[in-house]
Amino acid sequence: MDSLTYPFDLAAGWLQEHAILPALYALGLMNWEEVAYGWALFAVYGATQVVVTYAICLPLERWRPVERWPDSRAVTVDIFYTLLSRVGLLPLMTFVLFYRVQVFLTGWVTDNGWVPPTIERVFPFLLGQPVLTFAIYVVILDFSEYWRHRLSHLFDWWYSLHSLHHAQRQMTFWSDDRNHLLDDTIGFVWFMAVALLIGIPPMQFPLLVLLLRFVESLSHANVRLWFGWLGERLVVSPRFHRAHHGLMAAGLASVNYGGVLPWWDMLFRTADFGHDYVPTGDPSAEEVLATGSYAAQQAAGVRRMVRTVAGRGAEPAAQSDPV
Amino acid sequence: MFRRLSIVVLLAMLSSGAGAPSPAWAHGLVLVMNSGEASLSVVDMDTHREVRRIPVLREPHHWALTPDGRDLLVGDTAGNELLDLDPATFALRRRVPVADPYQLGFSPDGKFLTVNGNGRNQVDIYDAATLKLAKRFPLPRTPSHLAYAPDSSRVFVSLQDTDELAAIDLRTMAVAWVQKVGRVPAGVLWLNNRVLVALMNDEGFVVVDPATGRVERRVHTGAGAHQLFLSPDKKVLWVNNRVAGTTVALDSETFAEIRSYRITGGPDDIAFAPDGKLWITQRFARTVAVLDPASGGIETIAVGRQPHGIFLNPAATAATLSASN
Ligand SMILES: [Zn+2]
Ligand SMILES: [Zn+2]
Repeated sequence: MDSLTYPFDLAAGWLQEHAILPALYALGLMNWEEVAYGWALFAVYGATQVVVTYAICLPLERWRPVERWPDSRAVTVDIFYTLLSRVGLLPLMTFVLFYRVQVFLTGWVTDNGWVPPTIERVFPFLLGQPVLTFAIYVVILDFSEYWRHRLSHLFDWWYSLHSLHHAQRQMTFWSDDRNHLLDDTIGFVWFMAVALLIGIPPMQFPLLVLLLRFVESLSHANVRLWFGWLGERLVVSPRFHRAHHGLMAAGLASVNYGGVLPWWDMLFRTADFGHDYVPTGDPSAEEVLATGSYAAQQAAGVRRMVRTVAGRGAEPAAQSDPV
Repeated sequence: MFRRLSIVVLLAMLSSGAGAPSPAWAHGLVLVMNSGEASLSVVDMDTHREVRRIPVLREPHHWALTPDGRDLLVGDTAGNELLDLDPATFALRRRVPVADPYQLGFSPDGKFLTVNGNGRNQVDIYDAATLKLAKRFPLPRTPSHLAYAPDSSRVFVSLQDTDELAAIDLRTMAVAWVQKVGRVPAGVLWLNNRVLVALMNDEGFVVVDPATGRVERRVHTGAGAHQLFLSPDKKVLWVNNRVAGTTVALDSETFAEIRSYRITGGPDDIAFAPDGKLWITQRFARTVAVLDPASGGIETIAVGRQPHGIFLNPAATAATLSASN
């Protein structure tokens, strides 16, 4: 593991020493140096994620595309979403917030005579078994993500935000991170609650996180790819997640909510292992949600949510198709 | 809090792995706290190689040796526990739940253990013998490093985010004063009846009157002064400058600069070896630098991510290992 993570740490350390520290010092913000280093690590791994994903997914999309578009201008905004969420400000906020809240809350729990929960405390044999420990964390977190995602389709106000993710008709490996900021925020609070409950460490498994995020990106890729009968049931494939994004499945009753593991869909009977590569998009979303700029999409998401909440009861048929 | 610690968890798993004697350890061991990856590196002082990595829960930063020298306590901040290790073998003896233990230290008279809760904005004073909480001082914000007066009358704690130094009177168990000392104070050291405080967002350290907290003098060492250490012979004051990337040797009486050494990677803590060399953790380089002050030569040793605290025990020989087992 050490030699694998070494180049990343070296790059983050270099960034810290030659760019971040001098800047913090000049700005009188040296008390943020620890947090800044955490961000540097996130950003280095995030940038690597983007590069690796690009290097693997682009040839795949060229090789066997599901769809060909006359121009792919709608993809550009997804690239922006990706960079923002993997390299930019979002990881910084995640790190600062999560770290501070975790230290404060678990410390408070300890102060009150309780041992804060961590999987390794419950199962001490896991200490020193980082890969196994991580696997358990992944299963728990993926389970919780399944339910967050499923609920975001179930509640109409929530889906108004999540529809931004579904509105993309030119779905590519860049589309994984296209989410409404509010939806992302809810997702973050959700993740944080679960992570605190099981005591997940923030920066111990960067390479494995990289792998998981790759699976999620790949599952959005515009490629005819599936993993075989067994593989489909082990890891979410591009075909499996495409069914979730299908035109017919958009909205309150979709299928295949799983992020990395299809197990929860199988368990809760929402899995669709059909063999079609369906076109994607959300017909109920206004056009700007699909092709607008970042700001326009964010604004449209809020508009749609306000309309949904305000329109409740008054015009029950407002959201359904005029048959 | 320690009342509840009668349920101290003995982790046979951990201790069994860490304690096996080996002839390669014959010339002493160094323990490095890898704060960025939840582990401790054990380095052979002779071969300069990492011989073992001990997994911990979350984030080990600093250490303190009990007054009798028999227990080495390592604070795991985000893991909320103290690891009680055998200082001769680094075998884990027990794990003690303590909230957010950042820097910690026993008073010179051996009566108290002070634990800074960096993320909890509190300073906890424990009875050293029983490890019972004597008093908690809410001290916002971010209590960072600490030093005692040699007569154990007071402990001084830097408050990083509010640019202050706090003095806690251990006889009355009350805060004596809290004073502004300069931008982002970190390392604290008692020297010549004065308290020295390194300033991370400034170019050196300040000399503070322990009675009043008044800043008497400023000493230039370099940008981002982080930690202060007195050499074992008490003649040299060493200061690590995080931003300048230097370790500076000063005359401990006059504070005149003797020599400056280039140490990259964010120099943090120092341990002194009997051969006169300095073992310096390089926070952002995943290495420990071994500096020979005489020649200026530097050798680096690969350890884990974000090495912070460092404990060196030249007495950890093969004989001690077998004796303690
Ligand atoms: Zn969805
Ligand atoms: Zn999706």
